[in-house]
Amino acid sequence: MRWSIYIVAVLLAAALDASFGSVLAIGELRGQFLPAVVVFALLSAPRKIGVRLAMLAGLVADLLAPVVLDSQEVLVVPGPRVLAFALGALAVIQLRSLLYRQNPLAGAAATLAFSLLAAVAFVFLFSMRALFLDGGAPWWPGSGAGEVWRRFLGAVGDAVVALPTLWLLGKTRPLWAFASSTRVSPGLARQGG
Amino acid sequence: MQRPRFIRTLTGRRLDWTLAAVAFVVSMLPVSALLPWTDDLARLLSVPLAPVTHFGLFLREQVRPPQAAFDPSAPETVQLEREVAQYRMLYEQSRLEVERLERSLATMRAVSARVDAPETRLIEASVIASDPSRRTGVLALNAGERHGVRAGAAALVDGDVFAGVIAPNVGSFSSSLIPASKLPSIGARIFPPEGSDPQKPASSYPGAVLKPTGRGTWTAEVATSLDLAPGMVARLADDRYGRAALGSRIGVVVSVEPVEQAPLARRVEIRPVVDLDGLSSVVLAVPAEVPR
Repeated sequence: MRWSIYIVAVLLAAALDASFGSVLAIGELRGQFLPAVVVFALLSAPRKIGVRLAMLAGLVADLLAPVVLDSQEVLVVPGPRVLAFALGALAVIQLRSLLYRQNPLAGAAATLAFSLLAAVAFVFLFSMRALFLDGGAPWWPGSGAGEVWRRFLGAVGDAVVALPTLWLLGKTRPLWAFASSTRVSPGLARQGG
Repeated sequence: MQRPRFIRTLTGRRLDWTLAAVAFVVSMLPVSALLPWTDDLARLLSVPLAPVTHFGLFLREQVRPPQAAFDPSAPETVQLEREVAQYRMLYEQSRLEVERLERSLATMRAVSARVDAPETRLIEASVIASDPSRRTGVLALNAGERHGVRAGAAALVDGDVFAGVIAPNVGSFSSSLIPASKLPSIGARIFPPEGSDPQKPASSYPGAVLKPTGRGTWTAEVATSLDLAPGMVARLADDRYGRAALGSRIGVVVSVEPVEQAPLARRVEIRPVVDLDGLSSVVLAVPAEVPR
């Protein structure tokens, strides 16, 4: 797999989420492109680099979503989404042998699982931070429970956005240079015998 | 040639666990350890993303144009309405300013110190990115210290709507806008929709400290004998956000409920006038001395 293509795709998706993303929002149901890009890579890239792929995307997401502190300062915390995306990636990697990758619904289901697990980890980590440290939670003045519900809706939105995004990314598959899993074994016909 | 031992060790699962451990440690670092470097790192990332975010914002405006705050009609009417709103804000601003000066006259040595206060500088800034994960997140603006932006400057929209304040960590070419709904408290004065009565003193209108509810609205307990009704306008009456923003509209009262514990008080819920989600630009009012 070409890392350069993945990095460009992650940056493009993150930039579109930060600018065009609000158009895709219906109330609190807000889909993002970034989870779809990560899931697309996770479904085809070698398993051993899957978690690292997701962590990179999580780092980009963290850097683009600052938190407002009680002191009215803005703080960027690189880490919570890195771990959250890693957890989501572990789930998708486990799931991928069960999924028929050519089916767009399978990709959307994987995105839903990815976003849900990432959401749980994200809320947990920021709750820990808010409890034990001097940092504010990104959902303030809302509650943690409200954030869980909002993130659930966001995961549904991510799955919906993943449908066209995965189809589009599928068209660029040759660029990504994923290793083919089809093995050609020499037989009598191939040996000319 | 054989690789160094630590590189051989840091591969596969071990590398993943190491990265996860680093991410966890960084996540749990205190604010003082993160503040000096993470903001610069985020700005570094925003540079290559700027062309794409500009394109995305252009697309957004084409798909969902920003909603106008008034009914679209003849251009003269539109212009007139804008001027009326602007002058109403200036009027309320001056009245609140007069009230504030009268209150503090006893403790101030000279009024001239305030009269001679330097003029406010207005800077227009475009929104270059918003928090992709939430509606009321921090907005990134394309104006920074080099353009004269200073921490604590108030941001106004549509001429007289208070949108928020600039966060303390201002970059050279960019800054962050904390939305009004993320501020812990805002001092406001509640006026009738048609404006205040010039015959009455400004202090006769009820004051309130707005607290965010988490649903994108504010709530406040108001102790007043005056009638409170939905549709009344909450205007900024808080010196912390600068004199230029004084009197600007914050929100509209959407509900009034009695408070059981305090019979004379009522709880009002206020909805913001402007939705920051579709915002493309703001005007920053930067005074020479920003109150903190």
